[in-house]
Order: sequence, then structure tokens, then C-alpha cells
Amino acid sequence: MSNPLGTDTATGRRSRGASPVGGAAPATAPATAPATPRAAVRRRGRGKTRLEIAVLSGPAIIMFLAFVVFPVALAAYYGFYRWHGYGAPTDWVGLNNYRLILTDHAFQQVLRHSFLIMVLSLLIQGPLAIALALLLNQRIRGRSLIRVLIFVPYVISEVVVGTGWSLMLQSNGALNDLLRSSGLGFLQADWLSNPKLAIWTLIGIVSWKYIGFAVILMLAGLQSIPDELFEAAQIDGASYWQIQRRITLPLLGPTIRIWAFLSIIGSLQLFDLVYIIWGPYVSGTAGTSTMAIYMVAQGRNAGNYGYGNAIAVVMFLISLVVALLYQRFVLRRDLQGAVTEGVS
Amino acid sequence: MTRKTYSVAAVAIGVGLALAATACAGGGADNSSGPSGGKVTLTFWENASPGPGAQYFQDAVKTYHSLHPNVTIKIQRIQNEDFDGKLQTALNSSSAPDIFLQRGGGKMQAMLDAGQIQALSLTATDTANVGTAALASDSIDGKVYAIPLDTQPEGIYYSKDLFRQAGITSTPTTMEELESDVAKLKAIHVAPVAVGAKDAWPAAHWYYNFAVRECSQDTMEQAGKSLKFTDPCWTKAGEDLASFLKVDPFQKGFLTASSQQGAGSSAGMLANHKAGMELMGNWEPGVVAGLTPDQKPLPDLAWFPFPAVAGGQGDPSAIMGGSGGYSLSRNAPKEAFGFLEFLVTKEQQEAYAKAFVTIPVNKTAQGVVTDSYNISALQAFNKAAYSMQFLDTEYGQNVGNAMNTAVVNLIAGKGTAADIVKDTNSAAEKG
Repeated sequence: MSNPLGTDTATGRRSRGASPVGGAAPATAPATAPATPRAAVRRRGRGKTRLEIAVLSGPAIIMFLAFVVFPVALAAYYGFYRWHGYGAPTDWVGLNNYRLILTDHAFQQVLRHSFLIMVLSLLIQGPLAIALALLLNQRIRGRSLIRVLIFVPYVISEVVVGTGWSLMLQSNGALNDLLRSSGLGFLQADWLSNPKLAIWTLIGIVSWKYIGFAVILMLAGLQSIPDELFEAAQIDGASYWQIQRRITLPLLGPTIRIWAFLSIIGSLQLFDLVYIIWGPYVSGTAGTSTMAIYMVAQGRNAGNYGYGNAIAVVMFLISLVVALLYQRFVLRRDLQGAVTEGVS
Repeated sequence: MTRKTYSVAAVAIGVGLALAATACAGGGADNSSGPSGGKVTLTFWENASPGPGAQYFQDAVKTYHSLHPNVTIKIQRIQNEDFDGKLQTALNSSSAPDIFLQRGGGKMQAMLDAGQIQALSLTATDTANVGTAALASDSIDGKVYAIPLDTQPEGIYYSKDLFRQAGITSTPTTMEELESDVAKLKAIHVAPVAVGAKDAWPAAHWYYNFAVRECSQDTMEQAGKSLKFTDPCWTKAGEDLASFLKVDPFQKGFLTASSQQGAGSSAGMLANHKAGMELMGNWEPGVVAGLTPDQKPLPDLAWFPFPAVAGGQGDPSAIMGGSGGYSLSRNAPKEAFGFLEFLVTKEQQEAYAKAFVTIPVNKTAQGVVTDSYNISALQAFNKAAYSMQFLDTEYGQNVGNAMNTAVVNLIAGKGTAADIVKDTNSAAEKG
């Protein structure tokens, strides 16, 4: 998807780093060739190409500007005001909203929750998804049924999942009833309203909901690994576990890294499940509030549109920094397609 | 070079289109400007759910048109939860409705600050129809900005059958009596008090009512202006709530129970005889009626005022209540005010009260109140020394929400009475 861009910057970086050797020159040749002076005909053709690019990418750029850049800029603008959303903002407060956000105890709490969810999503869903994908990649009976069952939670809408779980997990809901009638009454708990338990309940639901997506990604990754590698390893006498460790996992790397990226961004922006199950007011008390919940509660619900926009900007910056760092340090090799290209 | 100009051009086109798009969205038809004598068409936004309430407004508009053929009123009914957002957008644009439901309190103040509503000059007849007490909560600095149609005194709704089963002979008038009734209701295995803490405000209303008992009227009104909650009575109210919590009055898992949705909600528990009482404003009977097994009004529903608290500075008869009303937007013509005056006349108020099963503001129309819970509430309201607006309305959503959340924290055992005051004070900084 971002291949042209990725190749461009990656090669640029490489030529800067390893220029004395010049080993990268052949690889970069096609991308940088038009930069050298050529005949006029060629130039006119280039202008036409540019026009074509402008016409073809114009609509997308306009949409992007109107629905992404413009709102972000507006949010940044409103974030400098104390504004209740009636009339135009007039009460300029500078960085005061940001100062309040960063010193707000509740915001520090939601940051902790968001990052805990992020880390635990990775730690729980990652290994489980890989294990499940390995299992489902085998020829076992009922394989497609199990695949569907694992993927179903991901397909169901968050609202339905949230409503369903909140009904089942209520103090007098189905789960406690089941525990009581199966003689495990001592395990009954206030799954949703006990502040010590609630975050773990949430993580359980999140894992259940999103693991299907991870499994599907991993399965696709597994299928793209050529069978010959396994056959060759088997002939060389590698055991099953050796094959998984030395061949499957490394070759599954790009898939795992992309999944982790999606999971991180999803965790940072988690909103709907918490909103449905706990709502914007109680989630802080139950210890499950996330950044997005904080934004809605303190912004829209409290009628502080200036403050709410400032929170949106902070959220945007946090997600941006995380995404950039991740791309820079983790996805770098994937974006330049290093896995199949081979590194000199 | 060329590449640069191209991209600059592309950006310029994009920004231009974006601006054009937003400009288009802003330009609505401005049909209502200034006073006019000829034919006028007014827009009217309200939030009645389908049924008798919505029908009432249809009929009122029709009657008004037959009395004043030059005035046509178009009703736009908007679902309650969508109402505030839509209204806010409309008020900010040039397509504001002429007449609209006003929530009052901090929101009305914000609309006034933005110059979006007009002050109403009531005649002596209007004032007599509405009553000065009801008008007080829709006034800012002595000027009236909305006209209320009903009063919503808050109190404790309870099931007479469950009280009888538990052996409670008379409704509690002090906290001690209420606490002993809680014990009696537990003995018959129902939740003594249901509260929908998920929505925060139902739980916070317990704190509000303790505050009405603990704080003097003056202290509460001052706090509305300064938004500083320094008087010790605010902490005292939190301590009262904490001490009431010691008898464990609420249903299990109340923290994630909503107040109005489904049989598991607090109103649903009352409707299905799973809980003995619930503290609510006077919309409660209607909500409960929708949640009973046969979806009919709960026959044994009754009402008593919030009990007295020993040693408080508030008047023991003081009552908490919402009001709200109907406002006119900045450019509404004078005919719009005529319609508001019409709504508070005796016949209209009687029809309104019947349709909404509520207590009309016009005292001459209060004869139509027949349900026992409404009669009890009306008696308490007419006896009350003064009435306080719900605090989250009175002090604005910003402070109100922080207060509500802090109360939920206290109830869940994660905060103290002092935290309520602290959180409320710090929220005032944000907005």
C-alpha cells in the first residue's frame, strides 16, 4: 500500500549510509533515474504524467484534506479556547487546556488503562493467536468450523458484544448463575462493578473479541510461507518445534509486526466496548476508562468543547508518536521489503 | 520547481473545496427575522416521545392556528438524546428554531452568553399563570429566558405493596426511619433502594438532596455564581451519603445498572417489584409504566419527599426539582412569544398535564392532577419553602458531571466526601 513511498525513503537512507561502497546503486536506479537531464520530449511527457497524477490523486487528496487535515487543524484551533460550543469561541486560554489535561489525575489514570490494555493485548493475543494459527494450519477434523467460531466475535458489532457481555456478567447475570448452579459459587464476583476486577474483565472481552482477527492474519501469513522450506527442513532432520522456531516464526515476522501495529493503535483508541458496558461516567470509577472515553466525558458530555478538542489533539499526538516510532524502528524492514530482497 | 507549483495548486484546490463545503453547510434559510405582522411560519422543536405528549403539541399548534390564522407553527420532534446536539448546531448556524425546549441552568447561561436567546417580557397575566416560583429557575439576573410548563419535584417513589409486605406502616420522614425501613425491606429479600449509577446522575441525586438539606438556600445560590464549593456543608452532604451507605441500601451491582433501560435498570426493578424505592424526578411514573410486565402504570406506585436530616442548614421542607421550559431564539418574531403565552393558559395546561401525566405550573390547572404520587408530590411542592434546581443543571454540565462522577466514586468506595468537593472545584477550571 505505502510501497512506493517506503522504497523511496528507504533507498534514500541506504544510499546516504553506505554511499562509499555504492552497493545500493543498482537497486535505486529505477527510482532516481528521471532526475537526470533528458530530452525535451521526455520532459513534456513528464508534465503530462504529472497532470495525470494530479487528476487521479486530486479527489483523494481533497477528501483527505477536508476530512482529516481540516478537522485536525480545527481541533487544534479550538483546543486553545475555553468554549462551551455555543456561538464562536472567544475566550482564548493559550495552553491552559493542555496544562489541565496533563495535570489531571483522571487523565493519568486513563493513560495507564490505555497502555495496560495495549501491552496486555499484545502479550495475550499474540502468542495465543500464533498457537491457534499453527493448530488450524494442520489438517484436523472440523478445521473450518473452528476457524469460523474463532472469527465470529470479530465480525459481531461492538455494541452487540458489549450489550451481550454486560448482560451475562451482571451481578445476577448468566455467568454468576452458572457458577452458582455448578457448585462453584465461591467464584462468583461483581465482574463489571468491582473496580479491582473490571479492567481484567475488559481485557478478557477485548482478547476474546479481537483474537479472531489476529488468527486470520497469522493464518494468511502461514499460508504464504512456501512448503518447500518445511520439506527441506524435514529432510534435513529438523523436528516440528525446530521448524516452527527457525522457519515459521521468522517468516511470520512481517505479519506479526503488522498485526501488533494494528493492535496497538486499536488499543489506544478503544472506545465502543467500554462505552457500551460501563458508559462514560462509571468507567473511571470501575477503572476501565480509556483516552477516548475521557475525551467524550470531559468534552462533549461536560459541554467543554475547547477542553475536549485539546484532549483530541493530545490523543492524536500520542497515537502519531507511537505509530511513527513503530514504523521507524519495527516496521522499517517490512516497508522496504527486506525479507525477500535479502540484505547485503 | 514544476512539482512544487503542482502540489501547491492541488493543496489550494483542496482547501478551496473544503472551505466551500463548510460554507455551504453554514448557509441555511433565515426565515425568522425580527417582528412581523403578516403571515408567519414558526419552527418549534420539542422532545416528547410518540404518544399522548406528542399529540398534545400537535393539537395545541392546531388550536393556536385556528385562533391566529396568520401564524403557522411547524413542529419538529427530536428524540431526547439527540436533542441537545442538534439544537446546539442549529443555534450556531442561522437556521435556529424559533421556539425550542430549554434545559435551563448552565446551558441556558451559555446560550445567553452567545446571544442566542431573547429575554421574555411577561405580562401580569403570564406571571400569574406560570407562578413566580417556577419562573425563578428560568431567570438570569432578574430576566426571564424560558417559560416552564410543568414542575418536576423530586422525591422517593416506592411500591406500596412491598412496603406493606415489609411491615412499613408510614413513610419515613427522617434518615433514621429510612435506614430502618431499608433493613425491613432486606428482610423480605428485595433490594431496598434501586439506583442507576451507570448514568451517574441518579446516584448523584442522593448527594444533591443531602446538599439541599445541609446547605442553606443562600449558600447553594452563591455557589452557582462563584462555582466555588468552599462551605463545609458540601462535605457534610457527602458524609451524610457515606453514612447512609453503611446500611448498604442499594441493589447488587448498582454501579453498572442503567436508570431507565430494561428490567434490570433501576426503574425496571421498581416496576417489577424487585426494589422497594427509587429517588427520582417526576418523570419516573411514565418510565416505570413502560417497564412493568404488562407495560401499564404500576398500580401501587407512591411518593414521599426526601427525609429530613438532623442539624442541616437547609429548610427541611425545601425540595429539589427540575424545571426547564421553552425559549425563543434570537431572531424569533413576536408571534412566537404569543404561542408560549397560550401554552400556559388554564385549558392548555390541563391538556398538557393529562398528556404528560405531570404537574402543570398553572395553579388553576392543577385540579387535573389525580394520581396519588402526583398529589403527594404537588402537596410537598406547594408546602416547600423553596425549590432548588438539580445541581448538574444549576451549576452547568461541566461542574455537574464532575460532581456526579465523584459521587459515584464515593458510592463505589473509591473516594471520600472531601473528594467530591475537590473534584467539583477542579472541574470548574476546565470550562
